[in-house]
Amino acid sequence: MTPTLPLRASVIGGLLLALGAAGAVAAPEKPECIAPAKPGGGFDITCKLAQSGLQESKLIGAPMRVTYMPGGIGAVAYNAIVAQRPADPNALVAFSSGSLLNLAIGKFGQYTASDVRWVASVGTDYGVIAVRADSPLKTLKDLVAALQKDPASVAFGAGGTVGSQDWMKTALVARLAGVNHQGMRYVAFEGGGEAFTALLGGHVQVYSGDVGELAPQIEAGKVHVLAVLADERLPGRLGTLPTAKEQGFELSWPIVRGFYVGPKVSDADYQWWVQTFDKLTADPGFAKLREQRELQPFTKSGAALDAYVKEAVARYAALAREFDLVK
Amino acid sequence: MDTLNYLLQGFGVAFTPLNLALAFAGAFIGTIVGLLPGLGPINGVAILMPIAFAMGLPPESALILLAAVYMGCEYGGRISSILINVPGDAGAIMTAIDGYPMARKGLAGVALSISAWSSFVGGVVATIGLVLFAPLLANWALAFGPAEYFALMVFAIACLGGMVSDRPVKTLLAVLIGLSLACVGVDSNSGVYRFTFNDVHLADGVQFIVVVIGFFSISEILLMLEESSIGQSIIKTTGRKLFNRQEMKETNPSTLASSIGGFFIGVLPGAGATISSAIAYMVTKRVYDKDGSFGKGDIRGVSAPEAANNASATGSFVPMLCLGVPGSGTTTVMMGALALYNITPGPMLFQNQPEIVWGLIASLFVGNVVLLVLNIPLVGFFAKMLTVPNATLVPGIAAASAVGVYSVHATTFDLVLSVAFGVLGYLLRKLQFPMSSLILGFALGDMIEQNLRRALSLSNGEVGILWHSPVSLTLWIGAVAMLVGPPLLRRLRRGRAALAVG
Amino acid sequence: MRAERVFGLVWLAVSAAMAWVALDLKAPISYEPVGPRAVPLLYAGLMAACALTLVLRPHAVAFHWPHGKVVHHIVVSAGLLLGYAFAFEWLGFPLATALLALLLGRVFGGSWRTCASGGVAMGIVLYLFFDRLLDVVLPLGLLQPLFGG
Repeated sequence: MTPTLPLRASVIGGLLLALGAAGAVAAPEKPECIAPAKPGGGFDITCKLAQSGLQESKLIGAPMRVTYMPGGIGAVAYNAIVAQRPADPNALVAFSSGSLLNLAIGKFGQYTASDVRWVASVGTDYGVIAVRADSPLKTLKDLVAALQKDPASVAFGAGGTVGSQDWMKTALVARLAGVNHQGMRYVAFEGGGEAFTALLGGHVQVYSGDVGELAPQIEAGKVHVLAVLADERLPGRLGTLPTAKEQGFELSWPIVRGFYVGPKVSDADYQWWVQTFDKLTADPGFAKLREQRELQPFTKSGAALDAYVKEAVARYAALAREFDLVK
Repeated sequence: MDTLNYLLQGFGVAFTPLNLALAFAGAFIGTIVGLLPGLGPINGVAILMPIAFAMGLPPESALILLAAVYMGCEYGGRISSILINVPGDAGAIMTAIDGYPMARKGLAGVALSISAWSSFVGGVVATIGLVLFAPLLANWALAFGPAEYFALMVFAIACLGGMVSDRPVKTLLAVLIGLSLACVGVDSNSGVYRFTFNDVHLADGVQFIVVVIGFFSISEILLMLEESSIGQSIIKTTGRKLFNRQEMKETNPSTLASSIGGFFIGVLPGAGATISSAIAYMVTKRVYDKDGSFGKGDIRGVSAPEAANNASATGSFVPMLCLGVPGSGTTTVMMGALALYNITPGPMLFQNQPEIVWGLIASLFVGNVVLLVLNIPLVGFFAKMLTVPNATLVPGIAAASAVGVYSVHATTFDLVLSVAFGVLGYLLRKLQFPMSSLILGFALGDMIEQNLRRALSLSNGEVGILWHSPVSLTLWIGAVAMLVGPPLLRRLRRGRAALAVG
Repeated sequence: MRAERVFGLVWLAVSAAMAWVALDLKAPISYEPVGPRAVPLLYAGLMAACALTLVLRPHAVAFHWPHGKVVHHIVVSAGLLLGYAFAFEWLGFPLATALLALLLGRVFGGSWRTCASGGVAMGIVLYLFFDRLLDVVLPLGLLQPLFGG
């Protein structure tokens, strides 16, 4: 069975499974979560979340190993899975919206979003625009006004290169202000940590990043959040932060985190993973684990996730064209 | 005297039998993992954290374990540098320059023991620095923007001027090859892929370990074939194991100075062990190398970079504890491990959970002592490794090197690339290009270029930003002094000697 | 011709190739006064200058091309290491390592017997040590079916 149309095949496969074969599929013997980055980053957190969740809920027999395959925000792992291990039911690979963005601008080589089977998402983070606590900019409106006055008066600092998610967020802010994104000042650092240090040191004025990694700093009162790029306020202690939407700006940037498997993984194994994640994400214990890792709920699996991924990739590709990233 | 109280409390925790045993276990595993090229604290932490969890260890015990592993890796990195000329990590590059020649002279034991001692001094000095100045130093780290980092790089490069061998043009070319290799991959400012030839395997650039294994390990294997020693071991006699009092006296001033300098550089996020050990080595060489003994097995060339390396490893705790920003790749992993215990390093940690901070600092002290106690007896054991016949040792080195390379990306591509570098490295070494210059150029390349460009973007192209702040100005003056000072001093001295004679 | 001169000529070509590739580096959107192209071009230029110095004023280095048996050994060893790199995933770590240890050990003058036994031991012990103990995932390759999964 080679699923040339993963979506339809998976739906059919799922139905077949549901019809009676469900009990016949055994759990993979050597489950492995591939984090396509060096240890310590967001992909690592995604894998560790699945690892500890699956272990605590006893959904898998053998403990899952986490391995690292860094390179191009997932490009190396994507290529390795599609080309070398397409039928390995053990290998689950973490992805994020960042991977989808790079996929959309063609940085994953010859492959497209249809080349793997999207299993499930486990949570999401949201973009954030922040300044130092003593900054004269107090709201997103202030920032937009400052940009309108002189786009070069504000230096943005972020952990991603031009064309990355962090950059996209700033380009979208520029678009809100009605100024050309090519006229703004954007400085890319090696990772969010360095960009944040530069913000604290006053070397840049505005920080663009993810709310999860900034949470401890927000609590410490070191930074002032201009806007969280989510449609609604976040639950819990981050609920005091204003969203861009409530300030009158249509600007939302979720960073979805989830997993995929190789294109030739059998329907039975694929469905096993989908169902396992369905059970896992429904578990209240998992919600706590997710919260510990500063992630918000975002649960999609199987065909629903596949549709979301393809829609997101198309959306990113359109944005990239609009911002002249691709021709 | 809150500080002292907390610290004493921390020691009280560290000295329980269980925690001492954990410190020993962590130190041992850390040393072993650290000496394997390509493997580091990340792997050490990865092995031990699940065990710590399974054992249900309380956070302070887990912290002690973590600190011991972390410091153990820093100690371990020097061992392969000295014994087989393959740096176990970036901080150990400089250690190979004099450590390996010492080993070839039959002084492997002395090199290993003096470097264990200087690592200890570096670790302890830096931990004291951590106790006294941590919160103050957070501001020092913040003062470093792109322009200041660039000035620091210029200073480091000016120090490298001292590496100039008999043929300066070769040193320069070696550095440039390293710098060019560092250009490969996604450009972190513009996002452009440079020299990747549309291959995703190069998207993140060439990995440090691939370069080290290629230019050091594989080229070394090929060079060994030319020597008459085929079929025998590299070094027959291992000589005495411990340094003597004279040697210790000789190294004391430079070890201490390197420790202090290394700590301050380690505090800067991202700068760390490579730069601090390079600067320590070069400054020491500038000050003490009167007869050209550096590079041929001078004991101070081993102790100074090791002291700086370990001091900076400890220094990188400052940004983590005070700012919640990882100061190095390894502290990133530590932060991840701490997060599992619901400990979030950052500005609030000193206020909310002082016992954790001081527990960590106490465990750094304990870890250093344990490592010294552990490493001195291990000297004999490691030196023995050299007596293994080449027919077994060389394939072993090749296999361990390959594992180191594979552990980063898990791709065949990197393995092949490292062999290609090995062949190039063999030719370069035959032509007497200094490999350590090449590798330093590679290690610093990205930071030099990116910080220069960041600084200029911040100033909108106005060059003055590069020396406007007091910090960067000081560094520029230091750089000029490093370049001009030594020859000037030499001339002065010669002049004075002539006067005295006249 | 002196070795330095030969190398200098080769490296001139390398620098030229690097400059040629670098010329094409352009950012789609550039905020920077210094783009992604300037620094590689600078390096290429400086390297060319260094290489030219070597061509024009080569020094005699204590350079001996290895000859006879040694050349043979070096070529064979480099080939073995390259083969090892390619076999690493395909044969799997234990098999590839055992083979490497056997053949490379022979080049380094070991006897068939010690190299063979050493190779087998190394393949197994190092695999267990790295994969099981240190958690560095290594490929099993052809042995995969034997160990399940």
